Amino acid sequence: MWRQRALVAALARRELVARYRGGVLGFFWSIANPLLLLLVYATVFRLVFTPRADVRPYALFLFAGVLAWGFVSSALLDSAETFRANGPLLRKTTAAPEVFPAVAVLARLAHLVFALPVLAAAIGVAAASGAVRPTAAAIQFPVAVALLAGTALGMALVVSALSVHFGDVRDLLGNLLTLTFFLTPVLYPVSAAPERLRRLLWLNPFTSFFVGIHESVFFFRPIRAEVWLGMLVATALSLMLGGAVFERLRDSIAEEA
Amino acid sequence: MTPAPRAAAIEAIDVTKLYRRWGRKRSVGSFKSALLSGRPGRALAPDQAVPALTDVSFGVAPGETVGVVGANGSGKSTLLKLLAGVLRPTAGTIAVNGRLAALLELGAGFHPEISGRENVLINGLLLGLTKKEIARRFGEIVRFAELEEFIDAPVKTYSSGMAVRLGFSIAAHSDPDVLLVDEVLAVGDEAFAHRSLEKFSEFERAGKTLLFVSHDLGLVADRCQRAIWLDRGRLVADGPAAETVARYRESVSEREAERRGTAERGEPSRPGRIGSGAAVVTGLRLLDRDGRPTARVRSGEPARLAMDVRAAPSALDDFVFGFAISTVSGAAVFGSNTAIDGFAPEELAGDSTVSLEISSLDLAPGVYSVDAAVHADDGAPYDYRRDVLRFEVAADRPIAGVWNPDRRWSFAGGVKWKKNSPV
Repeated sequence: MWRQRALVAALARRELVARYRGGVLGFFWSIANPLLLLLVYATVFRLVFTPRADVRPYALFLFAGVLAWGFVSSALLDSAETFRANGPLLRKTTAAPEVFPAVAVLARLAHLVFALPVLAAAIGVAAASGAVRPTAAAIQFPVAVALLAGTALGMALVVSALSVHFGDVRDLLGNLLTLTFFLTPVLYPVSAAPERLRRLLWLNPFTSFFVGIHESVFFFRPIRAEVWLGMLVATALSLMLGGAVFERLRDSIAEEA
Repeated sequence: MTPAPRAAAIEAIDVTKLYRRWGRKRSVGSFKSALLSGRPGRALAPDQAVPALTDVSFGVAPGETVGVVGANGSGKSTLLKLLAGVLRPTAGTIAVNGRLAALLELGAGFHPEISGRENVLINGLLLGLTKKEIARRFGEIVRFAELEEFIDAPVKTYSSGMAVRLGFSIAAHSDPDVLLVDEVLAVGDEAFAHRSLEKFSEFERAGKTLLFVSHDLGLVADRCQRAIWLDRGRLVADGPAAETVARYRESVSEREAERRGTAERGEPSRPGRIGSGAAVVTGLRLLDRDGRPTARVRSGEPARLAMDVRAAPSALDDFVFGFAISTVSGAAVFGSNTAIDGFAPEELAGDSTVSLEISSLDLAPGVYSVDAAVHADDGAPYDYRRDVLRFEVAADRPIAGVWNPDRRWSFAGGVKWKKNSPV
């Protein structure tokens, strides 16, 4: 895949350009969408619900998690359709099939990156009101996100290869993602879960990533070694599994897609 | 196989490709049911395998231009996709030496929403160029495609001709050592087709290897040194292009005639039969030089028409046998009968066979129809059967008209021909 990096980058760029050129406001939306989301959170959780004391300002806590989760879920949903969408390229050119799930992940990662100024602004506002005290721990964030992207890539390989053979992968995946969303500490910190369920929560491969993300851009604390280990193991396993499944089904992809 | 002075540009050894079918599961099944069945692995096992290519072996020397011919579904496109690496062979090995570019479809990678400029980059990368190489050739690519003014407009605003020109231009400038082309010259206008052929010539002069699939047999015979003929996934001929193409053409017309013959047998009472029935034509055959019934004759070979006639046991003393050959569109080609040729009838009784031998069937290639008749001397038919048999005449070259006489050219004065001329 490394040899095809220029192609992956060009196709991901194409994906973004094509998506935004369709709309009148273009790239504006990539900033506006997360900004609106943040404003809604900030309003709702100030005026309607009162969040736990340990996750205030909750809007910031939620925004960081939802940004990262949005990246994972949309990357996987896109990869379930990528072979169908790129059928002509796959059948009529010599592009390696693994390029396409990689493009799906990279394009969604780019969306996440475009939203980072909004995250930075939110942190700035929270810091100005004294609610959080940003530190250099924030530099852990890109590392955690990079590992999360690796995990998503491994899963995208599995999802895309299976989608060639089964028509319902995307629907099934949508339901699975909704379920996983609530089983992952995106909306809540691990400490909010009942004691006896916490151990189970750590079995979720996504848990360490979201703990890491909240540590780096909400609590501004160093991520604990076992959390790093959790991320590394999840990424390695996901890439290994993804590679193995994809390799097993590789021959059928250009034939069936 | 052509001996290769250097390492072969393309080497295929015993290549077999099975297409596996997941048909049942794809249309009905789902991942959910596969999981619920408790055996998700089984759902990924193919239902059946369909052979697309079987034990195909050939080599192409560097600098050769090779055509691939065969009917639809004979495995031509599969072969190209295997050589291009889009598909992998089920068995056997394929080796391609040098940079390869495959034109399986012009502009296959174009995205309508983005500009021609961006599409050139992506298409170039797909063809194996680096970003730098694309940047260096960009101007030339755009110039050849004649799209200087439109290159920054989205491709969806292009006409199909413009998109095809751009696709071809990128491929032509990707400077491959081996170029695989699948029927792409069928698209585009006349001028563009001409320019792309010119580009191919340039390519040949540069000593590059070219392999192309085409239904345009004239083009293959004309442009290729060698041709490969695939039939139902098997390589049936590999040799000089003109020879392979001629053999392929022959087989096509043979099959066509067979098909027609079958149709005929299944439909015994054809219209166009008149007569009193005093004598009837019970059968009509075309026989080749060895006396075997055939539906196809090579132009210039001997042939015999034979009709079986049954008359009442009480003898007739007024009878004429006749044959007529016409084109399928109805133009008369030949007609004669025993009266014209000087036979005076004496007696016809019971079963007889009447044969007309033609020492050299000098007809142009095509399909012909035969009428057979037995009638009275004044023309009153006993049994006149129109279009009772059709046959095919095959030849290496097309001929204008219906006559393909044995002939020879001669020249005097200041006429000179190149060495490969038939003089």
